[in-house]
Amino acid sequence: MATTTTKVETFVGKRIRRREDPRLITGTATYVEDIQMPGMHYAVILRSPHAAARIRSIDTKKAESAPGVVCVLLGKETKGVGAVPCGVAMPDLRVPQHTILATDRVYFVGHPVAVVVARDGYLARDAADLIEVDYEVLPAVADPEKALAKGAPAVHPQWPDNIAFTYHQDGGNVDKAFAEADVVVKQRIVSQRLVPMAMETRGVVAEWRNADRQLNLYTSTQIPHLVRTIVAGMLGLEENRTRVIAPEVGGGFGSKLNVYAEEALMGYVSMKIQKPVKWIESRRENFTCTIHGRGHVDFYEIAAKRDGTILGIKLKLIQDVGAYHQLLTPLIPQLSVLMMPGIYNTQNIRADIVGVFTNCVPTDAYRGAGRPEATHGIERMVDMLAAELKMDPAEIRFKNFVAKDKFPYATATGLTYDSGDYAAPLKKALDLVGYAKLRQEQADLRKQGKYMGIGISTYGEICAIGPSPATPAGGWESATVKIEPSGKVTILTGACPHGQGEETTFAQIAADELGVALDDIVVLRGDTAVVQYGIGTFGSRATAVGGTALYYALQDLKAKIKKFGAMLLESEDVTLAGGQVVDNKTGKSKPFQEIAGATYRALKLPPNTEPGLMATRFWEPPNFTFPFGAHIVVTDIDGETGQIRIRRYVAVDDCGNILNPLIVDGQIHGGVAQGLGQALWEQAVYDDNGQLVTGELTDYALPRAHLMPWIESHHTCTPSPVNPLGVKGVGEAGTIGCSPAVVNSVVDALSPLGVRHIDMPLTPEKIWKLLATKNRDVGSRGATK
Amino acid sequence: MIAQKFEYTAPKSLDEALHLLASGAKPLAGGMSLIPMMKLRLASPEHLVDLRTIQDLNFIREAGGQLHIGATASHYEIESSALLRQKCPLLTETAAAIGDVQVRNMGTIGGSVAHADPAADYPAALQALEAKFVLKGAKSERTVSAADFFVDAFATALEPGEILSEVIVPIDDARTGTSYQKMVQPASGFAIVGLAARVRVNAGKVSFVRIGVTGLSNHAYRASGAEKTFEGKTSSPANIQAAAALVAQGVDANSDLHASADFRRHLAVVHAARALKTALSRIA
Amino acid sequence: MKISGSYTLPVAPERAFQILQDPAILAQAMPGCESLEKIGPDEYRMKMKVLLAALSGQFEGKVRIADQAPPTSFRLIVEGSGRIGFLKGDGLLKLLPRYTDYTGPGAEARTSTEVSTLVSYEGDAQVGGTMAAVGQRLIDGTAKMMIKKFFDKLAGLARNLTW
Repeated sequence: MATTTTKVETFVGKRIRRREDPRLITGTATYVEDIQMPGMHYAVILRSPHAAARIRSIDTKKAESAPGVVCVLLGKETKGVGAVPCGVAMPDLRVPQHTILATDRVYFVGHPVAVVVARDGYLARDAADLIEVDYEVLPAVADPEKALAKGAPAVHPQWPDNIAFTYHQDGGNVDKAFAEADVVVKQRIVSQRLVPMAMETRGVVAEWRNADRQLNLYTSTQIPHLVRTIVAGMLGLEENRTRVIAPEVGGGFGSKLNVYAEEALMGYVSMKIQKPVKWIESRRENFTCTIHGRGHVDFYEIAAKRDGTILGIKLKLIQDVGAYHQLLTPLIPQLSVLMMPGIYNTQNIRADIVGVFTNCVPTDAYRGAGRPEATHGIERMVDMLAAELKMDPAEIRFKNFVAKDKFPYATATGLTYDSGDYAAPLKKALDLVGYAKLRQEQADLRKQGKYMGIGISTYGEICAIGPSPATPAGGWESATVKIEPSGKVTILTGACPHGQGEETTFAQIAADELGVALDDIVVLRGDTAVVQYGIGTFGSRATAVGGTALYYALQDLKAKIKKFGAMLLESEDVTLAGGQVVDNKTGKSKPFQEIAGATYRALKLPPNTEPGLMATRFWEPPNFTFPFGAHIVVTDIDGETGQIRIRRYVAVDDCGNILNPLIVDGQIHGGVAQGLGQALWEQAVYDDNGQLVTGELTDYALPRAHLMPWIESHHTCTPSPVNPLGVKGVGEAGTIGCSPAVVNSVVDALSPLGVRHIDMPLTPEKIWKLLATKNRDVGSRGATK
Repeated sequence: MIAQKFEYTAPKSLDEALHLLASGAKPLAGGMSLIPMMKLRLASPEHLVDLRTIQDLNFIREAGGQLHIGATASHYEIESSALLRQKCPLLTETAAAIGDVQVRNMGTIGGSVAHADPAADYPAALQALEAKFVLKGAKSERTVSAADFFVDAFATALEPGEILSEVIVPIDDARTGTSYQKMVQPASGFAIVGLAARVRVNAGKVSFVRIGVTGLSNHAYRASGAEKTFEGKTSSPANIQAAAALVAQGVDANSDLHASADFRRHLAVVHAARALKTALSRIA
Repeated sequence: MKISGSYTLPVAPERAFQILQDPAILAQAMPGCESLEKIGPDEYRMKMKVLLAALSGQFEGKVRIADQAPPTSFRLIVEGSGRIGFLKGDGLLKLLPRYTDYTGPGAEARTSTEVSTLVSYEGDAQVGGTMAAVGQRLIDGTAKMMIKKFFDKLAGLARNLTW
C-alpha cells in the first residue's frame, strides 16, 4: 500500500468551465417542449384581448366540433380548482379571487378565458379561433398613478380605490433628521415595468396516471417542490402522489419563481381526459400572462448636512401590482424598503408603500426583485445630493459609507449587515477607471461642446434569501449526498439551479471535500420524486444556502468515511485527504472508493454505525448575506442624435469568497446586460386602454450581444461570516449595480445643461429633447419649421 | 405561434412559380417578414410558393455595364459579394446594416423589396442608385424604376401574379463616393431612419448627388430638393448642412413609440449630413 | 393614438357633406369594405377585409354618424373587430370651402374657379388585440395610408358623380 499522498487537484476558486454547458450550447438539453409521451394531447389557451370586460357569453360549439378537438373548458367548469395563490400574508392585504380561468369577467389582456384540448397543437390552435366570446368592454386603467386618482375605473369593483395593500416602515427619527437638515433633495423616480423574457417560455406537461392515482407535472419552474405542494392543494391531490419535475429550465430571472394558473389547469385537463397533455406558452403569451417586473413610481426625499452627511431618507412608493397578486407580488416592494438605506450610515428612514391594482399583467420578482428599484432610487438621490452640494459623487459616498469596523451593522430597516468594506470596491473602481484623469478629460470635452459622463453606483444587496422567518415559505435549503458503492458521488440539491452553474460549483465543493475528480460527481435537481424537499433558486441563494447544506452533508459523510477507514486500517488516528483515508501513525492508507464499497458490503461495521454512505442536511441560515460593490460607467453622448455610447464599464463586486471566477464573471455579465436593458432599452408600455403595445420583440427592445460594452469585471473579497463557505451570492449584483451607474453617467454628461434626473429607459429621443430644449446650438430641429 | 394550415410548393422554374401565383399563391423568399406574420396569424396565405428553390433567381453578376442581382440573393450574399463591394459598395454597406446575422442569412433582397416595409434598409440605397426592378408575369415582363416601384407602405408596383425577378443597379466607379447611415430601432433592427448618399465631385464642385431616404415616411424616396441644392456647389460643411436640411421637407413623417415624427425628421437631417460627408470622404 | 390630417375633395362642401354620409359611396371608397348596411338612423353595419402586404384580416363592425352640422362638420364613430384585433375610432370631420387649385385625382377635368372642400379630420383611434401588440411600428403609417386611399377613392367617385 502506498504511503505517500500524491497532491490531488483541487477545484474551488478555479476558473472551471461549466459542466452543464455542452448540452446547452449544442441544443441537446431536454426542456418541457422536448418531452413526448404516447397519447399526448395539446392544449391552447384562449386569452382576453381586452383589459377589462364582462363576459356576456362564450360559444364553444364550433370549436368543440372542430377536427381533433377533445374538449373545450371554461372557467365555470374549473371553479372547483383552488385559486392561484398569493404567498404573502400581511395585514389589510386585499387578495382578489384568482381563478385559473376567467369566469364572468376579465381583468387584463392575456387573462385566460378558455382552454382547447386537441390531439395535436395545430388543431387546438385552429379550434381556439372558433370560440366566440361576447365581451362587454369596460373602462380600464393601466397606469398606477391614474388608478389612484379619484374617479378612476375600479379594477376590482369591490375595491373602488384600487388599493391592494399599504405598508409603512419607520426607523429612527425621520422628522428630527429632516428638521435638522441643511438641505433636502426631492425627486420622483420611475422604475419602469419590464418583461423578464426568459429565452425558454413557460410550458407544462401533465400526465395523470389513473392506476397509481398520481399526477406527474413537468413544468419550467425555479421552485418544483413549492409548485408540488401548492398545485396538489389546488387540485385536491395528495402531495406524495404529485410529482413535479423541472427539466432543463431555459432562464427564469424570477418569472418562474411562481405558481401559475396553467400548472393547475394542465393537471386538471390531464385528469379529465385521462391522457397526458402539453401546453407550451407562445412568446406572445409570455408577454401577457407571465409576470412582469419592477413597475415603481417612487417619491424620494433625502436630508443631509451641508458637509454631505446623509441624515435621513423618506420614500413614498407606488407599486403597480397588476390585476392580481401572484406568489410574491406584495413582498417585492417591501424588499425595496429593506434595502432603502443602501450602504450608507443613516439611521432615519420612513417608507410608505401603496400597492395599486391595474388592468395589467401582475408584477412579481424579476432579477433583483425590489433591490434594483431601491438601489436605483438611493443611488440617484445620492448623486442629486452631491450635485446640490457641489460635491464629487465619489467623495459624498466615501463620506457616508458604513465604516468597515462597524460590522455586524444594524440598519434602520431592521437588517444586520454581515460584513463589508464598502470603500474598497469604490477605491478600486476609481483607480481602474482612472477617475481623476477622466474628470480632466470631461472638462476639456465640455469646452468643445461634447457630452461625456462618469457615473458611479455603490450598491449593497440582500442575498442568500433567507432566514425562514423572513420568507413566506421557508428560507432554508437542503442537500443529500450519496456516495455509491463504486465511490461515485451523487448530489441532490433542493435548490433548483437552472443556469446559475451549480452543477459545476457544487461538484467543485464536493470534489475538494472528498478528494475525488469532478467527473465522479453528478448533481441532480428539479425532480420532487428524486430530490428531498427544497425551496428553490432565487434571491442569489442557491450556493450560499443550498451550497452550505451540501457542505454540512459532506462533513457528515467525511466523518463516516473516516470511521470506516479507521476500522479498515485498524487505526484510531486517521485523516481524510486527497481521496485517501490515511493512518496518521503508520502512513498506511485506504482509497476512498474502497471504503465506499466496504460501507455497502458491510462485512464489518464500526461501532454504532449503519451501513451505506448517504447524508441529508437541511440548513437554516442565521441571516441574509449582504454583497456589495461599485460600478462605474463612462458614456459619450452623440449631441445630434441623443444616442448613448458606453465607453467603459468597470464593475468591482464583492460577493465574498469566489468558488468559480468564470461563473461569477458570467453572472456579472448577465446581470449587467439586464441592468443595461432597463437603463437603455426595455419598457413594457401599456396604452390607456390597457393594451400592451410593446407586445412582441419587434417593439420590446431587449439587450443584444452586439450592443454589450466590454465589461471590466473585478472583485474585492470580504467573506461572509454567515456560512462556512464565506460566499455571499452574485446572481443579481450586476443588475442592481448597473442601472443607476448608467443613468448617473448620462445625467452627469448632461449636467451642464441643468439636467438632474432622467427616467429610464434613456431613449435617444428623451436625450435629444433635453439637448434641444436646454441648448439651442445642439439638436437643430431640421426642416420641420 | 402556430400558423394556419397552408400548402407549400417548391417549384424548380420561374414559369412554374408564375403559374402557381396566377392561381393565387403567395411567394415566399427569405420569410423574415411573412413567416412571423403567419405565426401570429396576421397573415394566413393558403398556398406558399418558395422561390428559393429556383436557381434562375439566385445570382449576382455584371452584364451590359450594369449589375444584376437575383431576387433570392440573400443579404449575406450581397454583403459579402466581392463584385458588389468593388462596383456597388453602397449596396454591400446597406446589406450589412440589415437586422442581425440570422436575418441576413435568411432574408433576400427580392423579399425585402417586394414586401416594402417602410423602414426597410435597401429601399434607401436603391432609390439613391436609381435601381431598376424587373417584374415578370406569366405572359409579361417589364422594368420599373425605383421612383415608380415604391408606392406606399407595403405597396409596390407589383401587380397580382407578378414576381420581382431581379434588381439592376449601376456600376459606381471610384469617382463616386457612397454611404448608408442609419439610426437603428433597437428592438426590430429596422431603420428609424436610413439615408443613402451617392456623390461625385468635378473640378471642386459637386457634380452628381443622389439621396435616398427610408424609415421617415410610408415609403422610401429620393430627396430631390436636397440633391438640387447640393449639385453645382462646393462640398463645404455649410453646403452639406444646407442640403441635408431639405431631406425631410414636405414629408409626412411617421411616428411610433420609438421616435416621434419630429425626432424622425431631425434624425433624417442629421443622417443625411453624415451620409453626404462620409460619401464625399470616400471619393478616390 | 391621435389621428389628424386633411384632404381636399373636388366638390363643394354641401356635396362633400352629402357624399361623406352616403353609405353606397362610403362602401365603395373604404378600402376593403365588403358591405355597409343601414341598421338604424345614421348607423351602419360594416364588413371589411383588410389586405396589407401579406396581412389579411376580416373585420366586422359599426359605423355611426353623429353631431351633424351640414355642411360644416360631423362626427364619425367606427368600431370593428376581427380575429387579428379590434379598432375603435372617433373623430370630428370639418369641411371648409376652398378656392385654390385642386391637384388631386380628376383635376384635369376641373377649372380653377370651381370650389373644392378641405376636409380636415381629428380624432382618436384605439387599436387592440394582436394588431396593437405587434404592430406598433406600423400602425401610424398604415392608418395614414388607409385614410389616403379612402379619400383618393372618394375624390375620384365624387368627380364622376352625376347628381
